[in-house]
Formats: sequence, structure tokens, C-alpha cells
Amino acid sequence: MPVSPEIIELRKILAERYPQQTGSHSLCIPTGWSPLDSLLGGGLPKGAITQLLIPNISSGGAIVLHEIIEAMQDVSQYVALIDGKDSFEPAADHPLLLWIRCHNVLQALKATDLLLRDGNVSLVILDFKESPDKDLRKIPGSAWYRFQRITEENGNTLLTVTRHPIVSSAQITISTMHRLCLDDLSTQRTDLIKLISLEIIRLRIQQDYRYA
Amino acid sequence: MHKNGTNCFAVIYIPFYALQCAQQKRVLEKHALQNGPLDQLAFDVIETDTLRVGEQNPNDDASSVLPAALLDQEGMQVIELNYAAEDAGVQPGMSTSQAIARASELVLYKRSPSNEEHLQHTLLQLGYRYSPFIENSAPGICALDLKGKRIRKHQPWLRELLAHLRSIGLKAQAGIGSNPEIALQAAKIANPILEILEDCQLLQSLALESLAPSPFLLDILKNWGIRTLGALTRLPREEIGQRLGLEALSLWDRAAGRSTKMLQLIQPPETFEESIDFEQRLETLEPLLFVLRRFLERLSLRIESIYLLIAELHLVLTLEDGEKIARILQIPAPTREVDTLFGIAAQYLETLQTTAPVTGFHLKVMPSRPAGHQFDLFQGGLKDPNRFFQTLARLAALVGNEKVGLPQRLDTHRPDSLQMLMPELGWSRKNVKKSGRPNTGPGLRRYRPGIAARVELNDAKPVLLQSSLISGRILEVRGPWKLSGNWWDRTRWETKEWDIALDNGGLYRLAQKTTNFNEDLRRTTDVNDERSASLALQGQWEVVGVYD
Repeated sequence: MPVSPEIIELRKILAERYPQQTGSHSLCIPTGWSPLDSLLGGGLPKGAITQLLIPNISSGGAIVLHEIIEAMQDVSQYVALIDGKDSFEPAADHPLLLWIRCHNVLQALKATDLLLRDGNVSLVILDFKESPDKDLRKIPGSAWYRFQRITEENGNTLLTVTRHPIVSSAQITISTMHRLCLDDLSTQRTDLIKLISLEIIRLRIQQDYRYA
Repeated sequence: MHKNGTNCFAVIYIPFYALQCAQQKRVLEKHALQNGPLDQLAFDVIETDTLRVGEQNPNDDASSVLPAALLDQEGMQVIELNYAAEDAGVQPGMSTSQAIARASELVLYKRSPSNEEHLQHTLLQLGYRYSPFIENSAPGICALDLKGKRIRKHQPWLRELLAHLRSIGLKAQAGIGSNPEIALQAAKIANPILEILEDCQLLQSLALESLAPSPFLLDILKNWGIRTLGALTRLPREEIGQRLGLEALSLWDRAAGRSTKMLQLIQPPETFEESIDFEQRLETLEPLLFVLRRFLERLSLRIESIYLLIAELHLVLTLEDGEKIARILQIPAPTREVDTLFGIAAQYLETLQTTAPVTGFHLKVMPSRPAGHQFDLFQGGLKDPNRFFQTLARLAALVGNEKVGLPQRLDTHRPDSLQMLMPELGWSRKNVKKSGRPNTGPGLRRYRPGIAARVELNDAKPVLLQSSLISGRILEVRGPWKLSGNWWDRTRWETKEWDIALDNGGLYRLAQKTTNFNEDLRRTTDVNDERSASLALQGQWEVVGVYD
């Protein structure tokens, strides 16, 4: 159905008046955390899976997680965190964070499936950083493609946090390689964030296709 | 069509009302027990079945329907029967055995007063949708005063109303007339709608019984050879009055279409409930879900007639041992969508375990006005709150109630002290309260429970860590940070924490619990053993988390 000229005009006015809210709103979900948003050109891709790799111990993965959650809360966006090993430590009250504390990988996958299908929460974070490798290796590749299909259909976003690249259907894979030291424990969070560098290590061009 | 300003009444008439109600209940139970599909197809089957046994339209071929009769509550006597049963020689007042002796294929139904009451409420509520002036004339009969209704053609909305009734298993007829009596008589002979506004001749051929005169009066008139309304009105009115009294005068007026009876206006009851007592006990969930869906469809239709939404579902299950299980299910975003309501109720029933089979089910819904929301440009609530709370319930069933929710820290310095709050019905972005975020350091990933470890000390500082998962030489250490609390009661706790850098490159938090008299220990330890338990925990090391 063709879009009416009034709608197009309204979109133009909104884009001029609220440049930070519009623009790429149909393609990505701005997290509000500038290092990530600027790296990804506006935010996490909507309707796709983003994989965050944190291969090393103590390399700032939790900082990234906390920053995304807090930034999303600052812009009043709901976030769901599926905690694969019940290891998240809330540093503050998060009234818009739905935290699901799973005992194992299977539970986490089921919870992810439920939340993605639900479609009410725009960003779902699946944290497998502390989950055992042997359990993660048992996840069939079809599970990730199923998640990809659901996110495409519902227009929400899945961010996975893992040590190794296991998400075969991820559109973007980013990584952080920073190594924390003991002195960083007393460093200001704002200074610490500057030390953490994110880098895109894989970018899959999304095919414009439809499922039958 | 009639001119505005003239009197106009409509009557909705459900023939053999009690019999149809009983048939509807029987068919519902039958299909529920046969695990019929939970879709519209099932209701078509119900309707077909109802017609097969309950059809009594004079224009239909009587041979195509089975004789059916309604028994009283004790199941002893026939109190109502259809035309096929009447043709077979069955009469009201006969005992069950007498009735079956007259018609071997007679289908007998037991009366269900509660179902009749609920369906009468449905009839009134549906009628009220089309006119604010309604009368609860009799069971299965509702009269509507159409005064002031600015619709010239009544057939379309009457068809819609009849279709609604048909969708819940009741076959009704409608009549329109210049007074309630004519409208009622028109409804009785309608197929399915008849409009008599000026020409009353159609009514003249009706039998006198259609006006339900007293047996005494009917007997006299029949002895005179008066059997139809036309024959009665051809007699002089005054003479009839002089000989037979006021009742005969009233009958003459009604037969001539001159009734001046006023409608006794009522407000339809504002209770929305359905109930069923099963003739066979239910041992599986599927029949109950079938009935639940059917009830929700009926109630949703009734609620729709008053332009409200459903905010609460009150479910009561009666068990065979007499126990009653009651549950109120709140609907996060009030709605009339049957699928949504069914999903919420079915989810509860699926998780319910009963001690005995179910013998009765009662469902009541509480109406509510549509909630008004005005979101700003870039903010809003949940897209589909009902679905979200269903998902929450599923998540809670998956991982446990205490493992899903919004994290909130408790007002204590004790590590890992937080509670999970379930989002409330009004969970929205407007409820956000900004809370302080940490200013320093990375985040901690906590091991729950902590990993028990052996720690070697040198000069009172940890130098070597050994545990099942993490081991290594400690390169650097900060601490100890002493924490304690609740020293004034039995829940006192005390711990020392170190931040350590291991030779594997990881930063960990190490804790030495000197006293941890927590709730679990308190349950297993009496007061006399308190000191010994504290001592047992002294010096216990564990890795509580990794900085990341």
C-alpha cells in the first residue's frame, strides 16, 4: 500500500526535529550507549541477532552489559536479560530490566524462545559468558536460526554474550579484548569505559528475502 | 417499515426455551467429553444437533426431527416437549416410562435452571444493546420498545440479534408489532422474523391457546366452537364481557390487537456468569477447556453488548469430593478477545492439580471500562500486556517464581542481597525511578553459590588458591574488606573479602566467611548449637565471583 504524502511529510518533520530518535529507527535499536551505537551505526540491528564475544577472563564484558542495560533504562526501554548461569550482579535497581536467572543452558534457550516470541521486549540479552563450553557446544545450530526467524518476524533484537563464536546466524559479531588489572577496580567507571574497545569481527549482510 | 412516531415493539421469542437450554447443555457436555475441537466447527455441530432434536418450527417437516421432552428436576415427569413428541402422543405431566412407551425414540433431557437463568440474562443483555426499554416478559421472551429508535428497517439488527443467539445455541424468532401482544404473536409464528404493524389478519388464524387463556375460559369458548382468535373477535365485545367477565374482555382485546398493556421496563442484570454441573465427572483437562472456551465466547458476547471489557475471570471448580477450588485471574489489559482470555485461563488450568475429578465449573467475569492511555511520542507501554504476563507466568513455571522479575537491592550491606519483584499490572516506563549507578570499577559476575576453595596464606594474605574450577597462584591482592551485619540477632553474618589477581589473568573476589548464621542454618540448628555452627564456618573460603 503506498504511503500517503501526509505521512511522508510528517516523517520528515519528525526526522528534522528529533534526529536522535528517528533516522535509522526502523533498522536498529539505539542502546543509548554511545561506544556501541557509534560502532554499529546507530544501535543494535533490529530483527537480527548480535553476538558479543568476550574470549578472555576479566576483559570488561560485564561493564558492557551493565552499560547497555543502564543506557537502555535511561532512554526508557525494556530489556530482558536471560542469565545462563545466574551470575549477573545488579549494581543498581533496574525497574525496566526483566532478569531471568536460569540454572542451565537448556532453560536459557527456552526462556529466550518465549521472550522473543512474546515480542513485548525490544532487546533480549542472552548471557552465556559463564556457561560451560560443553553445554554450549550441544546447542544445535538450528536453534540460532530459529531465533533469527523469530526476531525477524517480531522485529526485536537478540544480543548474545559468549566466550566463543557459537551463534551461526548472528548478523554482527563484535568483540572486546581488553584485559582488566587490579588497579581498574578503583578506576572511575567513565575512565574504564574509555579503555574498553569494541570491534566488529564479522558482519553478515542481511539478505532481503522472505520465508515462505 | 413503519413511520417514526408510531408505537412499535419487538419481541424476541425462544420457543421451547427450557428444552432448548437443556439440549444446549447436553450438547456442550457431549462434545466436551468427546474432546471436540476448540474452534467454530464444534459450535456448528452443536447447532446442527440442537436443530435435529429441538426444531419445532411449524413450517419444518415434523418427520425430520426427533421427539424430545424435558423432564422436571427430579427426572420424573415430562414438563415440556417439542412438536414431534406431541405428534407421537406424549403429553406434559406424563411419567418418564409413559412418555417412552408412547415414543420409543424420545430423547429426554433434565432441566437445568441455572443454565436457563444464565441464558435469560444473555437474552436480556443482548436485547438491551438495541433498545434501552426492555421487558423480561417470560423465560425465553424479551420485549423491546422501539420508541425513538431512528432505524427504519428493523430486519437487519433483528437478524444480527438472532444470529448472536444462534451462535450460543439458541434458536429464536422475532416479531414486530404495534403493541407487545401483536409483536409476541408475530414472533410465535415468525420464520424467523415477522413484522405486523397494520394488518392483523395474519393473527386471526392463530389458535386461542396462543394467548394462554385460563383453562376454564378456554373450555367455555371451545364449547361454543370458538377455536381461533379470528372467531373470537367476530363475536361482539360487549356481549362477551357481559357473559364471561373481565378476563374474556382482555382476551378479546388481545385477540383483536388492541391490548394496552404497558411494558414493565427493567435493567438487564449486570452479572456475567456461566456455570455447568457435569452429568459425568471430568478426569482430563480437555473437556474443561472446551467448556471454558464456550463460556468465554458467550460472556464476551454479553460484555460486548454493553461496550465494556473483561478485567477479571473468577473460576470455581467443584470437585467430586465436594471441595471447591476458586481462583481470580486478573487480566492485565482488559479485553474481550476470547483467544487471549482463554489463553490466560487455560494456562492456569493446565498447571492446576486437583485431588478429585471435576463435577462442576462456574465462570464469572468482571466487566471494566476500556483503560485510557495517552502515551507521548516516543514512549509507550507494553505492546500486548496480556501476552507479556502470560509469558511471565510461563517463565516462572520454567525457572521458578523467585528467579524471574525486576531486581531490587535490599537495604543491607550483606553481599548478594536482592529480591525479585514481579512486574505489576501497570508496569510501564513512566514508573521508572532513577537509581544510582556504580561510579567505579568493573562489574562482578557472581558465582551462586560461591565456589568452595582452599587458600594458602602468607603473612595473613592469600597467595595460592585451589578450587574445583579456579586454581592458581595469586599475583596481587587487595583487602581484606571486612563486612558484618545483624550482630544483634541470630541472623548475624560476618565476612572478609579480598580482590585478587590470579596468574590466569582473571580478577576474582575471594571471601572468608567467619560467621554466616543464615536462615538455612537456623532451620537446622537449635539455639544451643548456635555457637558450634558459627565456629564450624570460621575460616571457610570461597570464590564469590569474577570481575569482568
